[in-house]
Amino acid sequence: MRDTSEVSLARRGPQAAGIPWLVWANVIASLCISAGLYWDISWHETIGRDTFWTPAHLVVQFGAILAAFGSAWVILRTTFSGDAEARANSVNVLGFRAPLGAFISAWGGVAMVTSAPFDNWWHEAYGLDVKIISPPHVLLAVGIAGIMWGGAILAASNLNRAEGPRRETLRRIVLVIGGFIVIQTMTLKLEYTNRILLHSALSYMVLSIGTLLILEALARVSGHRWARTIMTGVYSAFVLILMWVLPLFPAQPKLGPVYQNITHMVPLPFPILLIIPAFFLDLMWPIFKDAPKPQQALFGGVAFTAILIAVQWPFTTFLMSTAARNRLFATVDFPYFALPSWPGPQHIFVHAENSPGEFWMRMGLAFLFAVLSMWIGIYWGNWLKKVRR
Amino acid sequence: MKKFLLFIFLLLLPIATLAHVNSPDVYFDGFAGPYHLLVTLRPPQVVPGVAQIQVRTLSNDVNEIRVLPLRMIGIGATMAPVADATKRSSDDPQLFTGSLWIMVRGSWKIQIEAKGQKGSGQLEVPLPAVSISSQPMQSGLGILLGILGLALAAGVIGIIVAAAREATLPDGQAYPVHPGRVRLSMAIAALIVVGAVLFGNRWWGAEANANARLNYKTPNMQPSLLGASVLRLRLDNPNQTEPNRLFRGDQPDRIRLDDLIPDHGHLMHLFIVSMPDMKSFWHLHPDQTQPGDFAVNLPIMPEGQYKLYADIVHHTGFPETQVATVNLPAVAGETMSGDESGAFNLAASDTVAQLSDGYRMVWERDDKPFKANQPYWFRFRVADKDGKPARDLEPYMGMAGHAAFISTDGSIFAHVHPAGSVSMAAVSLAETGRPNSGMESMNHGSVGPEVSFPYGFPKPGEYRIFVQVKRAGKVETGEFVAKAE
Repeated sequence: MRDTSEVSLARRGPQAAGIPWLVWANVIASLCISAGLYWDISWHETIGRDTFWTPAHLVVQFGAILAAFGSAWVILRTTFSGDAEARANSVNVLGFRAPLGAFISAWGGVAMVTSAPFDNWWHEAYGLDVKIISPPHVLLAVGIAGIMWGGAILAASNLNRAEGPRRETLRRIVLVIGGFIVIQTMTLKLEYTNRILLHSALSYMVLSIGTLLILEALARVSGHRWARTIMTGVYSAFVLILMWVLPLFPAQPKLGPVYQNITHMVPLPFPILLIIPAFFLDLMWPIFKDAPKPQQALFGGVAFTAILIAVQWPFTTFLMSTAARNRLFATVDFPYFALPSWPGPQHIFVHAENSPGEFWMRMGLAFLFAVLSMWIGIYWGNWLKKVRR
Repeated sequence: MKKFLLFIFLLLLPIATLAHVNSPDVYFDGFAGPYHLLVTLRPPQVVPGVAQIQVRTLSNDVNEIRVLPLRMIGIGATMAPVADATKRSSDDPQLFTGSLWIMVRGSWKIQIEAKGQKGSGQLEVPLPAVSISSQPMQSGLGILLGILGLALAAGVIGIIVAAAREATLPDGQAYPVHPGRVRLSMAIAALIVVGAVLFGNRWWGAEANANARLNYKTPNMQPSLLGASVLRLRLDNPNQTEPNRLFRGDQPDRIRLDDLIPDHGHLMHLFIVSMPDMKSFWHLHPDQTQPGDFAVNLPIMPEGQYKLYADIVHHTGFPETQVATVNLPAVAGETMSGDESGAFNLAASDTVAQLSDGYRMVWERDDKPFKANQPYWFRFRVADKDGKPARDLEPYMGMAGHAAFISTDGSIFAHVHPAGSVSMAAVSLAETGRPNSGMESMNHGSVGPEVSFPYGFPKPGEYRIFVQVKRAGKVETGEFVAKAE
């Protein structure tokens, strides 16, 4: 029996025998980067003091190193080892050979590495971080996106060649990585999706940028009946778990001035209810899957945005109410630098638009961006379904 | 050559400007309970940033010093983060060093807690913090980032071309040569790279410009002569358009001109120095005629060019020095009275300045050269005509003495008291929360024959020190020559 299975494995080749380790490495890297970033933001809101060596940074750096070095190793091995099968499944980038996903992942690692000294200099030149969106941070975000999308494309290329249980595992891996990509984009959007802004059109406009691109593309790659629900479920579960767990750890601010009595890690806000419109799209998928692509995009984009607004708007009203004022909904902890007179600690909405005209224009843009994102996602997903290397 | 140009560029950058001129470091002599401390604070070049603190204890019975930054006024003055321990020097057990995170521009106070054999004691030192300049990128780092950037750009093009060319081919199939498709993907990739570079460059430029606007600019007041001898000063406020930062707890102090508070009894301390000889020096106190507008009767002054340095303090305890250069005709002027003081025939000396009635002011210094950025006590002793310690010194505006440290080119100015280089109104705010609650807790002590000033020269060069004491009802000024290496 033993001999037979070994012969069988040898015949199928190492790729067929299981999931390539680089795919797993990318899953772990994505998890580390997502968790590290979330922890880092909480760190900035709780402790404040920043160095290269904070535990949160180390987790992100571990993720980046794992993905970048893993990919670099696969690139070097595929290029120089003479493994014919590996070379047959590879693409050629600047004379090197490896799966496309490995190159994208390695590129993401280099971008992350580049952002570190750039960000450090940025702090020295212009001061420590005062906002999330800055050129070195965007380079970092693009690098992280490279690692995560590299992992997704690597998993997709294996999925597109796989059959049976292995295919099932790869479908799940694609969806889990998709969930981490959603987490990363939602982290970038945090400044615009605080509950005080969720009765403004600005939040919905920002939320509609790119979300359906990720969901639609990877739903098509995975072919899973509940793909969109699973990806947004990963995001929701991840945020909820960290939101409930982080406050269990005692902490104190190390930067002043301090305006809040902080005794433990400050959690990030309750997740946005993306899962509900995502579930609706999954539910409706059998009906609209055969429609022409522009109609799919129109229906999906409009339905997603309308349902998101319909559920998030009243839910945010609830989050602002005294009934939600507990740790379960993360509405009682504020960053150390939040003045007690601010809208957040006062539990009142900020209206980002100055006129009804501006409000409706942004709401219109929210629908437009969602439709465009979905449209791009459909094409991107259909191409990803064909990737084999 | 590049390094040389960088060096020249760095030289051209302003070191710092706010309270005083180009002399940002704070030197403070005070008591934390039973412990006598000399504190040096070096504010960061860019805020938010890290300030450096050095505390020298005058006794060897201090075991631990902890430091804590707080805003000077408002709610941020009461709610504290965790205090930081300082590091005790292994070579010099009376020297403690540490760092402080200053997160917003404006008026701060540093709370220093000393613990030792006599229990614990606390001291508050004002720290005005502003962004001064943006650091240029070091050439090594620029090269490294340039190489990485090129690698990333090449990677984007390589990956997009490979994706378009062969990512969807079955295993092992050699890619068919579709020059059109490859060229198209290359063009798209190049477009992405060029677009990213152009967008990034524009964004970076916009951020750098926005940041440059936040850098503190020295206010240049407008002097004019009203009639024969009244000097009018219109204050400048180049830093008033400080934008708020969204979603941050603390906002930078907004600098206004209608919020000045008196500093040892006067809203403005105006120092006038003749240039380039520096033989004339006056310390006057113009009156505010309306917010941002001051006037003063000039004393008898010879014709010539003068540098003006006007010290003011805002309600937040944030000090500023307004500067101007003015050419004046001979001014008939008025005889000085009250706190007005100065002279036009000073003779700068290395160690001994002649005062009236045969008295002398002696600078008690050794032969060692001064080093820039090092804290020193500048000690001066007043002796009578027989060389005996003077017994008739009295407080001048509440203090044993005042000193002005001015570089010979006029670019550096600091108004220093026995308690240090900070404004006394800020010290009072830091200690009691009120700007003028008396300065009994400061170490200016009784007025003996000796007065000392803690200070450090901010950069190498030639300086003049103008030391003022009050004796027998009259303010005396001694001028000394100093050089820092």
